[in-house]
Amino acid sequence: MTTTAERTATSRLEAPPGGRPRQARRPTGGYGLGRVALVVGVCVLVIFIFGPILWLMLWAFAGIWHYPALLPQRWSLSWWRQVFDYPQLVRSVGLSFTFAPVVMAVSAVVCLPAAYALARFPVPGRRTMLVVLFAANAFPKIGLYITIAGLFYALHLMGTFFGVVLIQLLGTIVFMTWIPAAAFASVPRALEDAARDVGAGRVRVFLTVTLPLAAPGILVALVLSFLASLDEAQGTFLVGVPRYVTMPVQMYSLVSDYPPQAAAVFAVLLSIPSVVLMLLVRRHVLGGSLAKGFEIR
Amino acid sequence: MKAALRRGGYLLAASPPVALVALFIGVPIAVTVIYTLGHLGGPNAAVSSIALHQVSAGDRLLTFGAYREVFDEPNFRADLVATVWVTAASVGIVLLLAWTIALFARLSGRRVAGILTSLAVVPLFIPVVIGSYAILQFWSYGGFMKTIAHAVGLSGFPALGFTLGGVVLAEVWVSLPFAVLMISSGLQAVPDSVFEAARDAGASTLQAAWSILLPMNLLPTIIATCFTGISILGSFTVPYLVGPTSPNLLGPLATETFQSFNQPQQAEVMSMVIFGLAIVVALPYLWATYRSNRDTATS
Amino acid sequence: MPGLVIEHLSKTLGGRLVVEDLSLRVEPGELVCLLGPSGCGKTTTLRMIGGFIPPDGGSISIDGVDVSGVPPERRPTAMVFQSYALWPHMSVFKNVAYGLKLRRLPKPEIERRVEAMLALVNLSDKGARRPAQLSGGEQQRVALARALVLEPSLLLLDEPLSNLDAKLRVGVREEIREIQQRLGIATVFVTHDQDEALAISDRVAVMSGGRIEQFDEPAALYRRPATTFVAGFIGAMSMFEGAVGSDGVRLGQAVQVPFAAPIPVAAAMGGGAAEGWTIGVRPEDVLVKPARPGGRSRATARVLKQIPHGHYRELVLGLDGLEDTRLRAFVAADAPLGDHLEVSIARALLYHEGRLAHEVCGQDRVRVDARAAVATP
Repeated sequence: MTTTAERTATSRLEAPPGGRPRQARRPTGGYGLGRVALVVGVCVLVIFIFGPILWLMLWAFAGIWHYPALLPQRWSLSWWRQVFDYPQLVRSVGLSFTFAPVVMAVSAVVCLPAAYALARFPVPGRRTMLVVLFAANAFPKIGLYITIAGLFYALHLMGTFFGVVLIQLLGTIVFMTWIPAAAFASVPRALEDAARDVGAGRVRVFLTVTLPLAAPGILVALVLSFLASLDEAQGTFLVGVPRYVTMPVQMYSLVSDYPPQAAAVFAVLLSIPSVVLMLLVRRHVLGGSLAKGFEIR
Repeated sequence: MKAALRRGGYLLAASPPVALVALFIGVPIAVTVIYTLGHLGGPNAAVSSIALHQVSAGDRLLTFGAYREVFDEPNFRADLVATVWVTAASVGIVLLLAWTIALFARLSGRRVAGILTSLAVVPLFIPVVIGSYAILQFWSYGGFMKTIAHAVGLSGFPALGFTLGGVVLAEVWVSLPFAVLMISSGLQAVPDSVFEAARDAGASTLQAAWSILLPMNLLPTIIATCFTGISILGSFTVPYLVGPTSPNLLGPLATETFQSFNQPQQAEVMSMVIFGLAIVVALPYLWATYRSNRDTATS
Repeated sequence: MPGLVIEHLSKTLGGRLVVEDLSLRVEPGELVCLLGPSGCGKTTTLRMIGGFIPPDGGSISIDGVDVSGVPPERRPTAMVFQSYALWPHMSVFKNVAYGLKLRRLPKPEIERRVEAMLALVNLSDKGARRPAQLSGGEQQRVALARALVLEPSLLLLDEPLSNLDAKLRVGVREEIREIQQRLGIATVFVTHDQDEALAISDRVAVMSGGRIEQFDEPAALYRRPATTFVAGFIGAMSMFEGAVGSDGVRLGQAVQVPFAAPIPVAAAMGGGAAEGWTIGVRPEDVLVKPARPGGRSRATARVLKQIPHGHYRELVLGLDGLEDTRLRAFVAADAPLGDHLEVSIARALLYHEGRLAHEVCGQDRVRVDARAAVATP
């Protein structure tokens, strides 16, 4: 394999400065400047995206680390021990991983039938529904939580498990409806017709044809809702404290009250499920399952 | 009769999310509106009974007193300007980056495209609290960027932690995945032949991108713009962790006004201001979906 | 009553009458094509037979059982979709086995039947593949196997060849015909391709505007199109407004194209006036020879265009004295002809108000088509 520098030098000969080559074999890979720009750009992007995360991971294993050293002066696992010894933190991990699947499941039960109906049937006022969901998304969460507090007090939801589930659920509804709706809509009707033609009833057609084919979009929505619950702090703080202090809520106090190592350890813990889920659905997200959901049809 | 029944069935199946949103978001928004206009009783009684410093409409239909008060505060005006500035800058940078990445991905081979978009999409899966904190550490005094700058002798390199610049960086980091996904999936959907026809007619790559790909990819771009703008306008975590205390952004300001100063009415006025800005940002999106739906309906 | 019987079927979609009072019979073992341009209602008709669209009026019965209100999964029909509609998440084998599994057949029985069917369509070695890994022709055959494995009483094919390239299309259509004949299964085949329809059908129903224009055997359809629409849709046909006399066809004021043999037309048409006909002439019924200089009372024409078709050549002729009239003729590929020809007509079809009234023909004088309503102008 030739180095980038060599390749740049040779292709410069083909493309003199200022002269655009008439025909590049590949639009960007074929000649020097594009290649260099690509490599530099990818490097900058990698640093911009991953730098902060890697830097934080270093902190999680740092004993002593003073500016301007590029790496910690002393490595240590002591902060990991401290975090695991602190029952409140351990409890918050447990709580987060209880709320996330529950919120995901409730969101699926509430939204998936609606997504299917919006995708397949001439629901009256369909467009209005989709736009209402969108408009609700535009109101800032804090303003919502202030007045929701009154409503929650009236419904005796303050400080309850269900109250926390509900407040986290609100943030998942838009994409839990939109993305699966787009996924259902993109299953060609002919595939369903073909299954009915060979003798499958409506329910079976849905279970054996529509659902498996819409699965990528549904999976993406499920994962996003899981992550949204795992990420939600403001509303959970308002409704859940002091009984239900989840990981992100805990994170705020860690950030302000502890040295960076503690927050870093906690951050790494909190990121692990996210990374696992990312690997699970990355292909589908890149394949357009998410993007499709946002073009209201 | 049967048809009406069937339509009712469809409506019923489609309604749970909308009902939930109407009850727990629609109703609170309506309550918020009347609260900010000076109605302290009824659904607002619980909140207003413990709140400090409220403006009441009394016997009048409504009062803009609370709005006037908030807008008369110079700090608020500064924060409003800062919010608009940060939102505009972040959206601009996100769009530029997302288009560059998506365009490179579209014009290069499948492999490069995969790598680029895979990279850009990672922050989608990192909780915002963690992302913000990591970015704060990375760009602050004592962070990686300062350390590197110091090592190469650039001691004047700014520490971006607790500055609006840092907020912009973090907002870009958080918002990039969605914009890249929208725009690159839109670009992938444009057939090669359309682009090649433009090249064939004598357009350079950039000209073809500008005159063919951009107009054909307008809807995803507008969607990316609006959703990014709305989420930055109302964001709390990023400016709270990364931003300065003054000027603050409206999200943390409203939270602080409520939680620290116990002034829910003023906090709600600020929320209404954010909502108003968000609606302005959303207009192109609503217009574009309306237009594209109308076009598909007639063709 | 065995086979498919459709009576007075009608359907309005989006405010447009797509199928209008359509009646059709398909005998057991017969292959019938629904042929027509896009939007003529042929696919809608097929989907109503399959049960995917409820008809607004009329009835459909299969083997004597009225299936009008029966959902598709309980109809004895099997459909091959235009896009094949293979389930991309199942292997070829599973695609074919799906319907048998729904019928709760024992596993060895399912395997036996699926394998036999895959062998029938020459795909025995592709059972484990996913549809996306197959070529278009192979996907087509999987779709056919999936439909046939259920041993339906009626096979429905919705433009099954339109996604294949031209050469493959001819091969696959012959395969379909062969399998259909071997299994003796009544079949309705929707297409917009007249070659396809004429090549494989027992009978063809030509549709236009939601109605059947003509339902006949391919040869008859070509030889005696019942309406001007069918005449224009099937094969090449030169059509003129004109008059007919016993010695030929008169076009415009002056030009007379003679019959190859004298025909007592007026007598055959019951002595009615010879004006106001639409005259259709197939290119193979136009006879040409090099024009003799100074020949009289003979129609002559100039060759405007020559289109080679391999073993024959198509000529587009402009009649002398009637420059904007086009007459098409077939001649042998190597016939030595000049560009000025003498023209005569061996056979012509006479239409009145759009319907076939007379066929005038040199060999057996005048034949009055019994099927076409004769209306003397």
